[in-house]
Amino acid sequence: MDFQAIADHLSVAKVPGLLSLELPRPADKETKDKGRSGLPYVCVDPARIADFLTFCRDDDALGFEVLIDITASDPNAEDENLWILVQLLSVQHRQRLGIKCLLPKSALSMPSSTSVYRAAQWHERECMEMYGVNFEGHPDPRNMLLPDDWPGYPMRKDYEFPKEYHGISCE
Amino acid sequence: MFALIQDASGAVAQTHNEGSNFLHTLLQDLPLPEWVPGWALILGSVAMGVGILVGIVSLIALWSVWMERKVSGHMQCRNGPMYAGGWHGWAQTIADGIKLFQKEDMIPLGADKVLFVLSPGLVLASIFGALAALPLSYDWYFARMDLGIFAILAIGSTTTIGVIMAGWASNSKWSLYGAMREAAQVVAYEIPLGIALMVPLITLGTFSLLDASSLQSGFFGMNWAIFQNPLCLPAFIIFWIAALAETKRAPFDLPEAESELVAGFLTEFSGIRWSFFFMEEYAAMFLMSVVGAVFFFGGFESPVTYGMRGAGLEGSILFSLVCFATLVIKAFIGVFLMMWLRWTLPRVRIDQVMTMGYKYLTPLALICVLGAAIWEAILHVVLN
Amino acid sequence: MTSPTQKDHKPSIRPADEARVLPSGEREFFMDVATSDLEINMGPQHPATHGVMRVLLRTDGELVTGAQPHLGYLHRCAEKIGENVEWLQYLPYTDRYDYLSAMNNNLSYSLAVEALMPELEIPRRGTLIRMICAELNRIASHLVAFGTYGLDIGAFTPFFYAFREREWIQALFEKICGARLTYSYIRIGGVFNDAPPGWLQEVSDFCDVFEEKWQEYYDLLIENHIFVQRTANVGVISAEMAYDFGLTGPMLRGSGVDFDLRRDMPYMEYGEAHAAGAFNVPLGTGEKGTVGDCWDRTQVRMVEMKECLGIVRWCLEQIEPGPVIGDVPKVIKVPPGEAYVGIENPRGELGHYLHSDGGKVATRCRVRAPSFVNLAVLEDLMPGTLLADSVAIIGSTDIVIGETDR
Repeated sequence: MDFQAIADHLSVAKVPGLLSLELPRPADKETKDKGRSGLPYVCVDPARIADFLTFCRDDDALGFEVLIDITASDPNAEDENLWILVQLLSVQHRQRLGIKCLLPKSALSMPSSTSVYRAAQWHERECMEMYGVNFEGHPDPRNMLLPDDWPGYPMRKDYEFPKEYHGISCE
Repeated sequence: MFALIQDASGAVAQTHNEGSNFLHTLLQDLPLPEWVPGWALILGSVAMGVGILVGIVSLIALWSVWMERKVSGHMQCRNGPMYAGGWHGWAQTIADGIKLFQKEDMIPLGADKVLFVLSPGLVLASIFGALAALPLSYDWYFARMDLGIFAILAIGSTTTIGVIMAGWASNSKWSLYGAMREAAQVVAYEIPLGIALMVPLITLGTFSLLDASSLQSGFFGMNWAIFQNPLCLPAFIIFWIAALAETKRAPFDLPEAESELVAGFLTEFSGIRWSFFFMEEYAAMFLMSVVGAVFFFGGFESPVTYGMRGAGLEGSILFSLVCFATLVIKAFIGVFLMMWLRWTLPRVRIDQVMTMGYKYLTPLALICVLGAAIWEAILHVVLN
Repeated sequence: MTSPTQKDHKPSIRPADEARVLPSGEREFFMDVATSDLEINMGPQHPATHGVMRVLLRTDGELVTGAQPHLGYLHRCAEKIGENVEWLQYLPYTDRYDYLSAMNNNLSYSLAVEALMPELEIPRRGTLIRMICAELNRIASHLVAFGTYGLDIGAFTPFFYAFREREWIQALFEKICGARLTYSYIRIGGVFNDAPPGWLQEVSDFCDVFEEKWQEYYDLLIENHIFVQRTANVGVISAEMAYDFGLTGPMLRGSGVDFDLRRDMPYMEYGEAHAAGAFNVPLGTGEKGTVGDCWDRTQVRMVEMKECLGIVRWCLEQIEPGPVIGDVPKVIKVPPGEAYVGIENPRGELGHYLHSDGGKVATRCRVRAPSFVNLAVLEDLMPGTLLADSVAIIGSTDIVIGETDR
C-alpha cells in the first residue's frame, strides 16, 4: 500500500493517537513557503505511541512486524518541541511507515515501546542518553554509547561541550 | 606373546655391562688417572647426557618452529620467513629466541610467584624426563629401560600439572579457563592413548622401545607392526587423535584457544617463560611422533637398515647413524602431519572433545585391544 | 581462596572436633567452599569481538549464564558531526561507520540526500557503476565475515584465502577511486569519476576467477564437519524473534524469512536486475541443524557472495558510455524536508534519516546502523550456551563496531 492508503486505513480504523499527516508539498513563492520535499509522515500523540504501534504490528492490512528505528531530533534550539521519529517496516506487505511524535521539551516523557517491539529497547536507550527523553517503563535505562556519568545531552542543539571530564581536558 | 617373524640375524643390541649406557662406556674407556672414583664417571656421564638432551630439545624446537612457519605459510599461500639468515629465513627461530631472551621479565600483580616461575620449568622438565627414556639408536641410549614406553607416558603426563599451575598462578580468569580445559582434555585422552598403545604392545610383546624396534626388522624392512596385526591400523588412528589432544594441537588446541581465550593459560607468560612452553609443545609433538613411529612404523628399521644388516654392518657407527636418521625422518613426517592438521581443521568445542574421548575413542580402543589379543591368540595358539 | 603456597592461606575445611553428629550417627563435615558464577570480561581487547566491544559474561564453569554487551568504545559522534558539516563534506564520515562496506554506506547517504532533491537526475552509467561497486563491496565484506569467522572457530587458513580475493577487489577499487577501504566514491548525484579503461574487463575477469574459488572455500570451511558441529544448532533465532528484535539482512534471511530490500523494495536498478534473473535471494533452511542457527546465517552470506556476481555481470552487460554524475552544484543546498532511505548493506538495513531546512548543513543526520540493532540479540542468545558458542554467536552476527557505535 502506498502512504495515502495506509493513512486512510489508519484513520478509518480510528487508531488511538493518530493526529495528522505531514505530506510533501512544493515550494510556494506567495506564502514564502519553502515547501517540503522527501517522504510523508504520520503524526502521532506521544502518550499513545505504544497503542499505536501495537495496532500497526497486529493489523493484517498493515502488518508492520519490524521496528526499524526510533530516534529523536532537535530541529533547532528555539523550537519548543523535540521530534521522536519511528520507522516501521512490513516484510509481508513490502511497505514502510514513518511516524513522528512532537514532544514538548518542558515535559520530555513518553511511554516506552519495548512492550511492543524488543528492538525498541536499545534505540530508546540511545535517545535517552543523547536527548534526555524519558521513556517510562523502560527495563534497562542505562547509558548506551556514552560513559555512565557523562553530563548533559549531547545531541540537543543547545548543548555545551564540557571543558573537562574527570580531569581530562576536552579542549 | 611372541613376535611373528624373527629377523635373520635375530640379535638385539648388547652393551658392555648391564646398567650402563654409551656415555658411561665412553668415559670408562678414557685413560683417566687412578684416583678418579667410579661415581665421578657416573656423574660425568649424567652431565653429558643432560647436555645432549638439552641440545636435542633445543634443536627440535628450533627446527620445528621454522618448519611450522614455513608449512603454515605455504598452506596459506604465502612464503613464511624469508629474510633472517638469507636462505628462506632459516635463522628466524634463532633470531626470535634471542629476542625472547632479552625481554622484560613480567610477573602479573597478584600472581602466585612461586607457581608462576615454577610452571614453565616443570612443563619443560617433564618433557626432558620423557625424552630421557627415548633411545637415539640401538647403541645410543641414556638408560636401558625395559619399560621404556611406560616411563615415557608416565613422565610425559606430568606436563599437565605444569599447565594447570600456569593457568592458576596467572591470576587471570581467562588463564584459568585454559587450565581447566587442559585438565579435562588431557585426562580424557590419556585413556585412549594408553589403551590404543596396548595393541602394538600385544603384537610386539615388549614395552622397551629398543626391542620393539628390532622386532620390526626384516622382510625388506617392512615388517612394521602396523602390517603385523590388522587392528593396528585403527589403533594407530586412535593413538594419533589422542596424541593430538595430549599435545594440545589443533583441532584440540582449546587450552590455548587463540580466538576465544586470547592465549589461554599462556596469556600472562612472556619472554623466556613463553618460549619454554613452546619448546615443550614441539618437544611433545616430536615425542608423540617418535612413539608412533617406533611402535607402529618400524622405529629404527627401514629397507636401508635391512640391507645394512644383511651386509653385516650391524654394530658400526654408520649403522647407528642410519638408524638415528631413520627415526628422526619418521618422527618429522609425523610432526608435519600434525602441523598439516592444525592449519586445516577448525577447533572442536570442549564438550565435543570430552564426548569424543569418553564415548567414542575409549570404547573403540578397548575393542581394538580385544581384537588384537584374539588375533594373536588365533595366530599363535590355534595355528601353531 | 588463596593457594596453599601463599602465606595467608587458611584451609577451608573445619577441624573434625567441630563436626556435628547427625541422627543417623554419621558425622557431618563442613566445607565452606562457596561456588559462585565467574564474572568475566570479554573485551574491549579481545580477538573475537570484531572490534572494541565489551561483553560482560557471567559463567558457571564453561556455561554462560548471562551476557551484557557494553558499547561506546568507538563512538565518534558521527550524528553530531552531520549537523555541523556540509552535505558533501559528510560523505567521508559515512565511509567510516561500517568500514568494511564503505561503498554501501556512501550509497545509503547519497540516496537519502537524493530523495530530498527530486529534480536531480542520476545518469544510468552512474547508477550501474554504483551497483557494481556496491556488489563488489558486498563480496569483500562477506569475505571478511567468512575469514574472520573461520578464525573465531579456530580454522586459520580460510582467512588468508578470503583476504587474497579481497585484495583483488581492493585493487579494483584503488584503480577506480584511489582508496582501498574508505572510498567516498559514490557521491550525491552519481559517482565521483568514471572507470578507467580496462576496469570493466578486469571486473569481469574477477567474477570468473572468484566463482571457482568460492566453491573451494565453501568445501573447506562451510562443509567441514567440525565447523558444522560448532555452528549448527547454536544461536538459533526464530523468525518471530528476528522480527521482534528488528533484525534485517542475513540475520533475517538466515531465519528463513524471504526478504531482501534489493528485490522486494528495489532501489536503483535492482528491480530490473532481478526481473532479468540476475540474482536470487538465499535463505536459511536448517539444512545442518535448525533454521536460524549460526550455520544458516554463514551459509546465507556465502551464497549471497555468489549471487552478487550475477548482479555484477548483469550491470556489465547493461553499461554504456555516458556521464557518471548528475548536474550537482559545487555547494549543495538541499531543499527543506525529511526523508528516510534504507538500503541493503551486507549486514542488514542501513538507513539514513535526513532533515534539511534548506541550508548547506543538515539539521539532523541519523544513521540506522544494522550492527547496532543486530547486536541486541546477544543478550537473549548467549545465556545457556558454552563459552566457545558465545564466540560462534558473536561471529555469526557479523557486527562491525564502527557501525554499532558510529
